[in-house]
Amino acid sequence: MAQPATNDIDSDSLRRAAIDRSVKGPVLFLFTNGAFWLMASTILGLLAAVKHVFPDFLDHDWLWFLQYGRLQPAHLVALVYGWGIQAGLGVAFWIMSRRTGQELRGGHATLISAGVFWNIAVTLGILGILFGGSTSIEWLEMPKYLWPVFLICFLAYAWPMVSMFARARNPGGFMISAWYMLGASLWFPWIFITANVCLHCLPGLGAIGAGVSAWYVHSTILLFFVPVGIGAAYYFIPKVTGRPIASYQLARIGFWALAVLGGWSGMQRYMGGPLPAWMPAVGAASGVMMLMPVGVVGWNHHLTTLGKHNLVQTSPSLRFTFMGALFYPISSLMFAVLSAFYTGASLQFTHAWYGFQIVTIYGFFSMCIFGAIYYIVPRLAGCEWLSVRLIRNHFWFSVYGISAIVVTSLVCGLQQGGDMNNPEKWNLGFFAVVGGIKPYIIARAVAWGLITWSNVWFLIHLMLMVAGLGRRSSSPTLLPGHDIEDPMHNLTHPTHA
Amino acid sequence: MSDFRKLVFRIGFLFAIPWLLLIVVPVIRYQHVGPVAYDKDKDGMDGFYPPAPIHRQGQLVYAREGCVQCHTQMIRAANLGLDAWRKGWGQDQGERAADPVRSNTLRDYLGEPVAFLGIQRAGPDLANAGWRFADRNKLHLMLYAPRALTTWSTMPSFKHLYVVQKAQGQKSSKALDLPAKYAPAKGFEVVPSAEAEALVDYILSLKKDYPVPGLAAAKK
Repeated sequence: MAQPATNDIDSDSLRRAAIDRSVKGPVLFLFTNGAFWLMASTILGLLAAVKHVFPDFLDHDWLWFLQYGRLQPAHLVALVYGWGIQAGLGVAFWIMSRRTGQELRGGHATLISAGVFWNIAVTLGILGILFGGSTSIEWLEMPKYLWPVFLICFLAYAWPMVSMFARARNPGGFMISAWYMLGASLWFPWIFITANVCLHCLPGLGAIGAGVSAWYVHSTILLFFVPVGIGAAYYFIPKVTGRPIASYQLARIGFWALAVLGGWSGMQRYMGGPLPAWMPAVGAASGVMMLMPVGVVGWNHHLTTLGKHNLVQTSPSLRFTFMGALFYPISSLMFAVLSAFYTGASLQFTHAWYGFQIVTIYGFFSMCIFGAIYYIVPRLAGCEWLSVRLIRNHFWFSVYGISAIVVTSLVCGLQQGGDMNNPEKWNLGFFAVVGGIKPYIIARAVAWGLITWSNVWFLIHLMLMVAGLGRRSSSPTLLPGHDIEDPMHNLTHPTHA
Repeated sequence: MSDFRKLVFRIGFLFAIPWLLLIVVPVIRYQHVGPVAYDKDKDGMDGFYPPAPIHRQGQLVYAREGCVQCHTQMIRAANLGLDAWRKGWGQDQGERAADPVRSNTLRDYLGEPVAFLGIQRAGPDLANAGWRFADRNKLHLMLYAPRALTTWSTMPSFKHLYVVQKAQGQKSSKALDLPAKYAPAKGFEVVPSAEAEALVDYILSLKKDYPVPGLAAAKK
């Protein structure tokens, strides 16, 4: 990796191109398969929502496995493992190699095989859930023999990432996005092993097991999805706006605060339940305190973007990343509201929890990942996105769809929880209490339908790109904005490379 | 120590604290939690708390069907919700229970691989469901045709756990007594499979409000 010290733009571009070439196969593989599972997940989400309200929909004997109790976990497993972790790994891998300036030195076959096995595991997991192998442990519903496969495949990607970081010429130097990716690739396997050993290998854990399962879900969100999402935002916002991160100090505080708080949450889901009271209490406290790192990061992103908002209109990457970065504080607010005892008591065991999962994994994380994909894929595939209209379609359907799901789930949760705790309804039959959730779930079904529509096109668009059938052009596909003629636009171009 | 190692060490150390305190130590300590004997003088009863192991075969069906997506098994403490006063959620099935149902403790789930505390409530809590279904056949009917009992119920039908068979000779004693709308064709009858029986056994065994030694039992 000896490289003459030069600031020559040409040699820099060559170097970037060499790095891109070295990671091309595995990264595009993860993106394409991830996009497929995303589409599958939205279709399952649509079906689950319909079945939740109209259980007799598609009520044929040969479709006996289509039940809310099986569709809903299948939907989330597809979203989390099929799309989220897979595409997140792809983005993390690319950012890590670019940020540390390291090429991938061989091991391509291992990475592709790991990717193939990961997808086989997701397929078996979802079929297992649908056809009667569900364990009913949240986010670990897939049959239990699959977890070592997931673990080994993840490690196959995490290991090169960590060694890239270790090989980087100046690891102590400041590379906040690489820090986040490093954190995610170290934390997730640790969390995953702990949860699976506790829940599948140890003798019965009873209520503690339920706590461990809740901890697993929250830690995966806070220590995998959040760092990868923020890491991507920290990479692409400065990249596209052509400005440095506003404050290194704030970035550092945000990272370490997340590392300190991330592992404590989860058990507040069972507040007022059988767990020793201090466990939900620390979970709730850390859930509320998470507002601090989120606020710090959000403020930093805001300061970085300030004055460059015109680029949000034209650059697809920045537009998606910006939206994701906006959803992040919203998800954290929802998390705080769900965690604090005062408000959590009325939102506990309601659809607000689903709203939180969707706003975090889809609203925040996935939007950042979409932004990253719109940036990375042209550089790896060697062609530009075909259609502005498809990108715009994807953006608006996703934003409106996700907002609709999150708002309806939250309001639904307020109503559901309020009715459950309403003393005037104490003696009503339970369906009279929760019957009010129906319209919200119908709205959710409509929203998933719209999102499915946009995801089908996203998948087709991505597959065309990966097949090398994109536009042959030296200029990126930009969305038309009112200031497209802005001379500044061309100035920022070199950093856009 | 290089900068890289220092960074990895810090990242690991900060996560190791909650990992140890919140997961590892409680999990190890839980291994020593066992049943507690009632004190005949204080509690007025013999035996152990919790009295019986769970019905694991039925719980596997419960897990497989994803019941946790809509049903919790956790009565919250009275300061967090109305659970304790909700009609029919405890042993007392009367119009207005004299005492609130107690909230659940760690030992209520002893022996379960993972307690199915639940994800959300689109259906009633099942922690003490065993008291609610006096009649086994009514529970079968509810699983086979939920809307035969409550017209606006959103519970799915678990028809695939039941067998429609030709009625030969005398009607099977296990055959479900279905209203006309859900009844099979003439000459056929619906009987529960072994899985349905296990699920019903499990649900009927859910009585997680046994007296806690030294606490509520003294009242009786």
